[in-house]
Amino acid sequence: MVRKLCLTLAIAASALAISSAAWADITILVPSGSEGDGLRAAAADYAKIKGTKVEAVQAPYANVFEQGANAGATKSGVFDIILMDDPWIPFFAENGHLEDLTPYFKNAGLEGPDNDFLSKSLAICRNPYNTGPYVCLPYVGNAQMFFYDAAKFKETGVESPKTWDDVLKAAKALTEQGGGRYFGYVFRGGQGNPVVADFMPIFWSYGADMFNADRTKVTIDTPEGAAAMKTFMALRDVSPKGVESYNANEVGTALAAGTAASSINWPNWVATFEDPSQSKMVGKISYSPIPAGTKPGSSEIGHWTMGIMSASKNKQEAFDFMIWATSPEQIKISAERGNPPVRASVFTDQELTKQEKFRHYPVLMEAIQASTPRPRHPKWPEIENAFGIELSKAVAGTITPEEALKNAQAAVEQITGLK
Amino acid sequence: MLKSDKGTSAAPLRLGSGLERWAERHLRYLMLAPTVLILLALTIFPSIYMFYAAVHRISPNPDLPWEFIGIGNFARLLSDGQFQVALRNTAIFTIVAVTIEFLLGLGLAMLLDKYIRRLTFLKTVLMIPMMLPPIAVAITWKLIYEPQFGVLNEIMFRLGLPLQAWAGDVNLAMFSIIVADVWQWTPFIFLLMLAGLASLPVEPYEAAALDGASSWRQFWDLTIPFLKPVIAIALLLRVMDALRLFDLVFILTGGGPADRTKVLSLYIYQVAYRFADPGYAAAISLFVLFVTIVLSTWFMKRMRLAE
Repeated sequence: MVRKLCLTLAIAASALAISSAAWADITILVPSGSEGDGLRAAAADYAKIKGTKVEAVQAPYANVFEQGANAGATKSGVFDIILMDDPWIPFFAENGHLEDLTPYFKNAGLEGPDNDFLSKSLAICRNPYNTGPYVCLPYVGNAQMFFYDAAKFKETGVESPKTWDDVLKAAKALTEQGGGRYFGYVFRGGQGNPVVADFMPIFWSYGADMFNADRTKVTIDTPEGAAAMKTFMALRDVSPKGVESYNANEVGTALAAGTAASSINWPNWVATFEDPSQSKMVGKISYSPIPAGTKPGSSEIGHWTMGIMSASKNKQEAFDFMIWATSPEQIKISAERGNPPVRASVFTDQELTKQEKFRHYPVLMEAIQASTPRPRHPKWPEIENAFGIELSKAVAGTITPEEALKNAQAAVEQITGLK
Repeated sequence: MLKSDKGTSAAPLRLGSGLERWAERHLRYLMLAPTVLILLALTIFPSIYMFYAAVHRISPNPDLPWEFIGIGNFARLLSDGQFQVALRNTAIFTIVAVTIEFLLGLGLAMLLDKYIRRLTFLKTVLMIPMMLPPIAVAITWKLIYEPQFGVLNEIMFRLGLPLQAWAGDVNLAMFSIIVADVWQWTPFIFLLMLAGLASLPVEPYEAAALDGASSWRQFWDLTIPFLKPVIAIALLLRVMDALRLFDLVFILTGGGPADRTKVLSLYIYQVAYRFADPGYAAAISLFVLFVTIVLSTWFMKRMRLAE
């Protein structure tokens, strides 16, 4: 009897030990791809160094938003930290899913994040933008850049494109020469997020914006918006057939395969362009900030940021991990793992900048500093969808660019309740 | 007395006899209980919850209460342009895709049944698309349709034909999705028709042949009536499945270009998960459920399946 009891206890104890080993101290929701992979690797390092077990749950891009929103709405506490794309921040913050980091900074004896972070990277982590309390910390420093084949552009007489007119001049000539197999420009025309992401920088570079400064009025259908649309349609006319369904992959592949000469894209594509196993264009693609329209060019910022979920039961542990993961040392390691940094000291670190694969860092740092966030609104996914439908119709030619602006204006007014 | 009988002492029997008698009386219910519980948890409860959600405005903020709005979400359907576009696209897809799949499936089954009955390996090959996961099919077709590097445009180029944007062209996008769906699901109709053809009685055909009936008359007056229940089941299943098309659209076009391929399932997904409006998404889902039930009931009555 005693022996049986001891045996049962022993089995129960070992089962408990196994389960407790499987339990994580902190759970993070991260996207698939290099951003999530980088944070997973950091989480493994943290466990080794600090002894705190960090579980990184990976999901495809769209599912990260959905799972985070679901966890927030149900207060499930299943995730302690969420790695968010920056346009999601208003949704998560204004629906009470994110923890205000102010008391945690105070407890740590800090005023807030240090000044080594780029100012634009910090601005997006506050809600309201740049003025409210910190609700997250920047981790991956994405901002769009302009990628182009400098040699091909030079053949058309455009040394380094500074304006959209320069781009159009070169792209038109190259597309004409290409005979349907080579194109001067390529963009993401897929309905929704893709087409909006590639239109916004052009929109801004003509002085247009979706809302006025205090967000009391929708300002899509304006002369500035029309000028941006005119350029966008001209770029469509020199792009390959089928861009109406293109996303970042198709655009990146066209550039890497050398079938398109220029595009707007995210910096994580640099690694692909410079990888001989994936690219025919190694060392041939140049990078520049977004060209100017009637106003200086501005890229769309697309940072990945870490925030603590309000329902988390391990908030202090989560904050400690976030501070560690965004420290200069860890951001440098993250950069070496392929994720663009968010700190000036890493962008200017000679050890990195002297390497060929980081030669775009000065341009990227400039692009981040000249970037604009997507309109900060808790209903951004819905706004983006509506705007994306109208842009897609314009790109596909089923409505005129003027109609697209007018319809988008009406749709965004209806979603936001603004006039 | 057997040794084992000794172990069955009278005392436990007496103690448990009441329980045992009860268990014996209710055995059928006990056996069904796990299934009923699983059904309750996974089907009945979520369905009731969906009705409940559909009459509320649900904020993504958990601190705000659900607001009862009655038929508000259903009334919204009438003025929602995106819903109407999705409804129209779903109807076009369902009618065209299922019709083509039926005609092709029946034709192939007739062909194989009549002329190449022995080629069983051909039947297996024809089944392959149906066996593949829809997501794999969608990704494969995305590669085929890719405008610059896709195999389809490569063939077009070599034949000297104009290159097409396939999934990116407003006039071709829905057609491209239908082709991919037809490729995957024609084998399903084919399989059912083949099974139906195999079970046909021989005598009526012999009699018809003696009477000099042509192949077409035999097909129209014998094969089709005999196959009617199988045809009804095949069409019913395919229509119900087509109404919830998601994977192909999500991967190939994302609902674009210009909203030409936005279908109801994709719209429900967007409303529920991207726009965080589960109440309205529940109302649209209930509408789809209602349409499916009405269609299937009408169809079953029409085909006299319910008899």
